Amino acid sequence: MQKQSKSLFSSKKARLRFTLFLILIFAVVSFLGSAGNYYNRLSSTLARATHNVVILPTAKEIPFVLGLDLQGGTQLTYEADVKNIPESDRTTSLEGVRDVIERRVNSTGVSEPVIQVNRSISGDYRVIVELAGIKNVNDAIKLIGETPLLEFKETTVEPIKVSTTGTSTNVNAEANLTWENTELTGKNLKNATLKFNPNDGTPEVALKFDEEGSKMFENITERNVNKQVAIVLDGYTISAPTVSQKIAGGEAVISGKFTVTEAKLLVQRLNTGALPVPIILIGQQTVEASLGQQSIDNSFKAGIVGFFLVALFMILYYRFPGLISVVCLGIYVLAVLAIFKIMPWWMTWVFLLSLFALFISVFKELKIFDGILSVVMFLIVFIFLGYYAHTSVTLTLAGITGFILSIGMAVDANILIFERMKEELRSGKPLDIAIDEGFKRAWPSIRDGNTTTILACFVLMSFGTGLVKGFGATLFLGVSISMLSSIVITSSLMKIFVGKFLARHPWWLGVKKINN
Amino acid sequence: MVNYKIIKYRKLWLLISVGMVVLSVISLSIWGLKAGLDFTGGSLLEVKFAGGVPSVMEIQNSVKEANINSLIVQPTGNNSIILRFQETSQDKHIAVTEALKKLEVAKSGMTEIRFEAIGTSVGAELRSKSFWVMFLVLMVIILYISIAFSKVSKPVASWKYALIAVVALFHDIIITAGIFAILGHYFGVEVNTPFVVALLTVLGYSVHDTIVVFDRTRENLPKSHDSFEETVSHSLNQTFVRSVNTVITVLLSLSAVLVFGGSSIRDFVLALMIGIFCGAYSSLFVASPLLVYAEKWQRRK
Repeated sequence: MQKQSKSLFSSKKARLRFTLFLILIFAVVSFLGSAGNYYNRLSSTLARATHNVVILPTAKEIPFVLGLDLQGGTQLTYEADVKNIPESDRTTSLEGVRDVIERRVNSTGVSEPVIQVNRSISGDYRVIVELAGIKNVNDAIKLIGETPLLEFKETTVEPIKVSTTGTSTNVNAEANLTWENTELTGKNLKNATLKFNPNDGTPEVALKFDEEGSKMFENITERNVNKQVAIVLDGYTISAPTVSQKIAGGEAVISGKFTVTEAKLLVQRLNTGALPVPIILIGQQTVEASLGQQSIDNSFKAGIVGFFLVALFMILYYRFPGLISVVCLGIYVLAVLAIFKIMPWWMTWVFLLSLFALFISVFKELKIFDGILSVVMFLIVFIFLGYYAHTSVTLTLAGITGFILSIGMAVDANILIFERMKEELRSGKPLDIAIDEGFKRAWPSIRDGNTTTILACFVLMSFGTGLVKGFGATLFLGVSISMLSSIVITSSLMKIFVGKFLARHPWWLGVKKINN
Repeated sequence: MVNYKIIKYRKLWLLISVGMVVLSVISLSIWGLKAGLDFTGGSLLEVKFAGGVPSVMEIQNSVKEANINSLIVQPTGNNSIILRFQETSQDKHIAVTEALKKLEVAKSGMTEIRFEAIGTSVGAELRSKSFWVMFLVLMVIILYISIAFSKVSKPVASWKYALIAVVALFHDIIITAGIFAILGHYFGVEVNTPFVVALLTVLGYSVHDTIVVFDRTRENLPKSHDSFEETVSHSLNQTFVRSVNTVITVLLSLSAVLVFGGSSIRDFVLALMIGIFCGAYSSLFVASPLLVYAEKWQRRK
């Protein structure tokens, strides 16, 4: 093993070059992932400046996923009244509520509503509906609370359109088939029952109409023999059978391709005339898009200023190592922003693998794998990083604040290391040993300190509410990435740049004298 | 290296801390924390007027017809007005906005930029949830420190390190809450879910900071020939610059958010800043002095 690694890294320099290469890959992937739009602008400027001699491939521009408080939208919280529903059926009924709300919201054209069913500590069922970028909240609320609409539609054949243009006459041979409402609706429904088809045993829904409805149904079937009649619920066609003969007696059967549960649910909904479970609006949160945009602008400004203040402090206080830590902090910021987004799969893997390889190579060299605690912690952190690299993190105002806070906290590991390094230098150790010792000795403190913050983050993430969850997730990502990057990237960069110059000019390291 | 006599003057620091904690407890018990919308339930409506801001009186008169209880009207400074009231139903929400639209200034345009309604049951639930989360975080942290320090047993047992870290932690939280009780009484600053999140973050930071200082003591103890008190003092001085610099960088990044982050996040950031400052103070001036006392009391027995 020893020999093998020697042949791989024939000299210390080759090894350092390899880590530098890994850092570069990590930084580039982070940059492409977090700021693809800036990269594209840069490459197009470059192409124009060189008259299309240098043409770089374009990067995929991935947007951030913004929470409702940043993009504008509304969150509605409903409480489901499950008093009259047996314990065992509650979950299915709430799934039914979820589906109904989803269909109703979709029919208004709002982009992808997020609907969650939660169970509170006290055992109440909550339905949370998030509608992004919605203009008229009142309409949405009305629509969600509405009773279901059952309609019967028939086809009408519109007269063939003949348009004459100039000398030639175009005749559209195909008739326009449109669905039109009939006079029959869910109002005339007496009840609905679940049945099984006597021939093949598939579940069906049998409808029974009242007297008026029976007559209407008879009329409809009479005039539509050999034509389709559609049964439409909340704007969606459930089934559109072809009528074979006039049906009298006021009974109809819907035989869609149901499963037993679906058929049951449909029966339940048709009978109750409303959502499977009554829901009451108990909470609402609406943010207008302009306010969200203002929050984004404010946070962006705060983030930039915060970064520069921290950078300035580090460079003024720690001089050369401070500069290195700022480079590291810059990579850190890009890496966290990249992980917030959904990167293409190859980028995700390059990101994770380069980070993992960097971490293994540096930790093996420094020999700071101290026992099971570090290993367990790293495994957990990597599993969660892998998870978040695959999904996106919804950014909220509190989450961004957590991220900016983590910029300040991220340099803590560097401060610990640099202070330790200075101490070792003062006690008379030569520069390269002092650097190694600084990293090695600072590690237990970094690990223990960050673990408590990470544990607090896990509790925050399991809290359930959007705001708290988002803050926990962003702070977790910040702390765990900073822990890895500050040790791995800073130590490699320090070693690469530390040469004779620094050994002769101790001022750059903030000490008076260095022993050689 | 610096050589501050923090341990030598430990009585003074502890007295200051005890004084602060007592003051905080008093203000908490007299005024209490001003519970925000999240915890009490109620509605908050923010509207922006294109043609100037109407006076508080005008608004109060206009929404009278909506028949709402405990109305508070607050101008925000950037052409918008915040209204708070007890009712949370959608009907009342519509009634209030309709009433506001009849105002003279609303004729040239009025937008509803924020509306929050939280039912009383949700408020009560958030309160109990916050309590449980705090409790859970505390338990997890105590467990972790006990494990991390399990190898140190001489002369002070590892559970005492954990206990002291927790005492320092309560010190930070009580003072932060106390300051918010004062801010709530004099400036109407409210406490809501973000405040709880801030306290949880402070918990993490405070313990983190205390651990770094204790870690040094843990490292120095086996190889030290000095007394326990001197070893702690030495370790404290070794980590002093790091503690101060770290809290400076954290406060720098937070102050950027405080200044530029906008009004909706200001209280949250303020709670974070106060708590983190206390956390840094307590790990230097409370935790290590207590460690020395713990060793002294143990010897006396």
